Amino acid sequence: MGVDRRKFLKASAAAGAPFVLGLWIPPKPAMAGVAAPPGASWDREPPVPEVNAWIVIQPDDTVIVRIAQTEIGQGVWTSCAMMICEELQCDWKKVRPEYASSNRDAREQAPAWTLKVPGDGAQDPTGGGTPNMGAPATRNRPGGLGVPDSLYRRMRTNAAASVADGRYYQQLAGAEARERLLLAAARLWNAPVGELVAKDSVITHAKSRRRTTYGKVAHLAAATPHPNPEAIRIKAADQWTLMGTEQKNLDVPDKVMGRIVYGIDVKVPGMKWAAVKACPVYGGDVKSFDFEAIRGRPGVISAMQFGIPDPKLLRNHTFSGGVAVIAESWWQAKTALDAMPIEWAIPPKEGAFNTQNMHAALIASLDEPGRTRVNLGDVDKAFAGAAKIVEATYSTPYLARARMEPGNATVLVTDDRVDLWIGDQSPQETRYSASQITGIPEKDVYLHLCHLGGGYGRNGNGPQAEQAIMIANAHRGTPIHMLWTREEDFIGTTYRAMSVARLKAALDADGWPIAIEVRIGMDKEGFGPDASFNGVSRYFTPNYRFSTHTTTFHVPVGTRRGVGQAANEFYRESFLNELAHAAGKDPYLYRRELIGRTNLPYKADMIKALDMAAEMSGWGTPLPKGKVRAIALEERGGETKGAATISAMVHTVSLSPSGDIKLERVDVAHEEGFGFINPLSVRKQIEGQIHWFYNDAVHQAANLENGRIVENNFDRFPISRMAEDPPELNIRFFKTGHWLIGMGHDRATSVQSAIAEAIAQTSGKRIRDLPFNTHDLSWS
Amino acid sequence: MAFELTVNGRRHRVDADPDTPLLWIIRDQIGLTGTKFSCGIGQCGACTVHLDGKPVRSCSLKAGLAAGKQITTIEGISKDGTHPIQEAWKAFDAPQCGYCQSGMIMASLALLKQNPRPNDADIDAAVTNACRCGTYHRIRKAIHRAAELMRA
Ligand code: FES
Ligand code: FES
Repeated sequence: MGVDRRKFLKASAAAGAPFVLGLWIPPKPAMAGVAAPPGASWDREPPVPEVNAWIVIQPDDTVIVRIAQTEIGQGVWTSCAMMICEELQCDWKKVRPEYASSNRDAREQAPAWTLKVPGDGAQDPTGGGTPNMGAPATRNRPGGLGVPDSLYRRMRTNAAASVADGRYYQQLAGAEARERLLLAAARLWNAPVGELVAKDSVITHAKSRRRTTYGKVAHLAAATPHPNPEAIRIKAADQWTLMGTEQKNLDVPDKVMGRIVYGIDVKVPGMKWAAVKACPVYGGDVKSFDFEAIRGRPGVISAMQFGIPDPKLLRNHTFSGGVAVIAESWWQAKTALDAMPIEWAIPPKEGAFNTQNMHAALIASLDEPGRTRVNLGDVDKAFAGAAKIVEATYSTPYLARARMEPGNATVLVTDDRVDLWIGDQSPQETRYSASQITGIPEKDVYLHLCHLGGGYGRNGNGPQAEQAIMIANAHRGTPIHMLWTREEDFIGTTYRAMSVARLKAALDADGWPIAIEVRIGMDKEGFGPDASFNGVSRYFTPNYRFSTHTTTFHVPVGTRRGVGQAANEFYRESFLNELAHAAGKDPYLYRRELIGRTNLPYKADMIKALDMAAEMSGWGTPLPKGKVRAIALEERGGETKGAATISAMVHTVSLSPSGDIKLERVDVAHEEGFGFINPLSVRKQIEGQIHWFYNDAVHQAANLENGRIVENNFDRFPISRMAEDPPELNIRFFKTGHWLIGMGHDRATSVQSAIAEAIAQTSGKRIRDLPFNTHDLSWS
Repeated sequence: MAFELTVNGRRHRVDADPDTPLLWIIRDQIGLTGTKFSCGIGQCGACTVHLDGKPVRSCSLKAGLAAGKQITTIEGISKDGTHPIQEAWKAFDAPQCGYCQSGMIMASLALLKQNPRPNDADIDAAVTNACRCGTYHRIRKAIHRAAELMRA
């Protein structure tokens, strides 16, 4: 195509509705009730009246349980169902989870009895605090309209908090339904309800030898409210029969058949496909594009520009503007888009960022005063009197989540209703976005939740929904399925912020710290710079100073699996290893002693975790040269009394003379805490996180060049494979008495410091910048 | 241009550019969405199907080249999810998000058909698909279990 034939169309700069080029198809009738394929559960009326907003029981005793969190592989469909069914006392084999309706959530308030939490008998046995759920701040979503105390409250799947935050009201929902079923049977038999017993969906009355099933009385229960739901109490932990047992995930049978419907699989009648390209530099936009160049290609229908999605809808993240091509099939749209000339408008400041200048800016920030968060004792004086000073500077790169399913959403906008089919971890926020972009009220937004092909820290942090809504809003009446390429998915996501850390310790003559100073540098918007170091040092030191330092970059940063703990525990535990070596002490016993000297509320649990992991691993028994055991503590919330999650791991790592890393064995000691619902899911989450942090440690980095992310597919952003799985993996749980925070995102951070330690012990090289595979690790 | 493809034993007339990757024909035209798209460049294996029993990454294979061959997708290995490999996967509760699992199952099944007693090194060499959730430990166990079930 010659330049002379190229008719660059100046993209519409007018504010308001985007300008669509090309043939448009006349609007079709709204699609209220598209049939859901097997494996999908889309917003629809239940087949029989519900007992309450969480439970529908069919005459054949099938129990439909409505789940208000999103399944991303963490097992929430199963653990939420377990919490409800523990109380419902139904036949677990007949339980079918389904997504709760976020549309209904926009219209209805939660029943008053679910707002009064916690219930009797479910207090933390050691008084270690209540779950977040009790706090109104987490009960209501930020921004948006909806209704206060909306029906399903926190329809957001993040912070590994689905179980902790939802347990009370989900158990109550199960209990309320059970009580109503019992009352219905009692009324039918004219028997005192106290004499009836409910078990496995069967209600019996021993005296009159009568028996019925939930399915037979559900319609009566559904029609009769409970006279005093406030009096219903949930079971105490010692009465649990389902919660706390290993249960296989309820959606696995569909997953092994390829039947689960992810967002990408959605197909609705009349649907067209959209492929998009957003400006690869955040904050950038489209200067021009030439639709004429592709107009005649097979299947191509139209093209349009969309602006930078409103940052207010995206937690103040600025992504970029872009172009969409709409075609009959996605492949047609994608190949046409690839062939279409596009010129980007790249803002000069954003376009000048690269990894080197950003890293240098962060390092420089460490010498600025920063924000002092902790200052205990007299750090400077202690340094002046130190027998030995150890100082180390570490860094970790930007990192993408790189879920396997690329971002996508199917949206149909008509004049009075929006339908969205999407895998989404924050449907309430997306519902709000849809309403803001289209001007259609939230109560008329129907968001049909799909499973997600991975989440790892909230897919909702990216503009997939907003882009798709903008495109569909410009094509009212026609459902548009927008799908990103893998490369586009790397643009449309928030990143974990790059960070740097300078740790400095003054040791006494015996090698014990008399002062520790920690400085963390991170983008101003970065999440969790204070993790793992705030409040009080986890390892005892009489003098402690902790400060955070910031600069401002253009890459949108968000919560990625591990959040602040991921990098900060790498820094902290690596530094502890360095200190132990400087002190000439065993890294396990050094940690043990230093935790023992603190006043940390759960120090006994921390020591227990270290002892157990060390013992499991055969700590201290000889290993051949090139093989090293390294230990680390993992904790979240360990600095204050309340909810916490504590584990310790020993990683046995080998390093070949040519520098190949192999994780040989992992020994995990993890607490059970209070509120451990499905131990099988916890095991799976730990197994998965070993790979997650192995990838962070060994393979992955997102670099910037001219303001754009360089690594945008799995060839350059590698994912570990089967051959890298540790051949031996032992996980043991031990009892503790406080609330757990969650196990889905910051376990196994220790892989990082452990591999660093193995490299140091074997090759003499102390690597402080991740990932390891960018360094020469060879030794002889 | 129209051509014919045989998927899971059924013949389909496909009206599309034969240069379209097989993945998109299977998903969009034939309507079998168990086979997934993830990288589009042959890196991850989420799109693995069998071509005459051999595993191929369908995102990187022109559909026209599959004409006249037997294509098998996850939907074609059993009607009801009771193939021994699916039973093994369920026994270990292998999937997490599940997105890579169709490809994992197809890659593993191809290995088992050609090597009924794979050792760990055989598995490492043959099953090179990516799983971002990190389900490898359970997948390895499930492959060994499936091998036993398939030999029985
Ligand atoms: S989608 Fe085909 S290999 Fe990744
Ligand atoms: S199970 Fe999620 S990518 Fe493999």
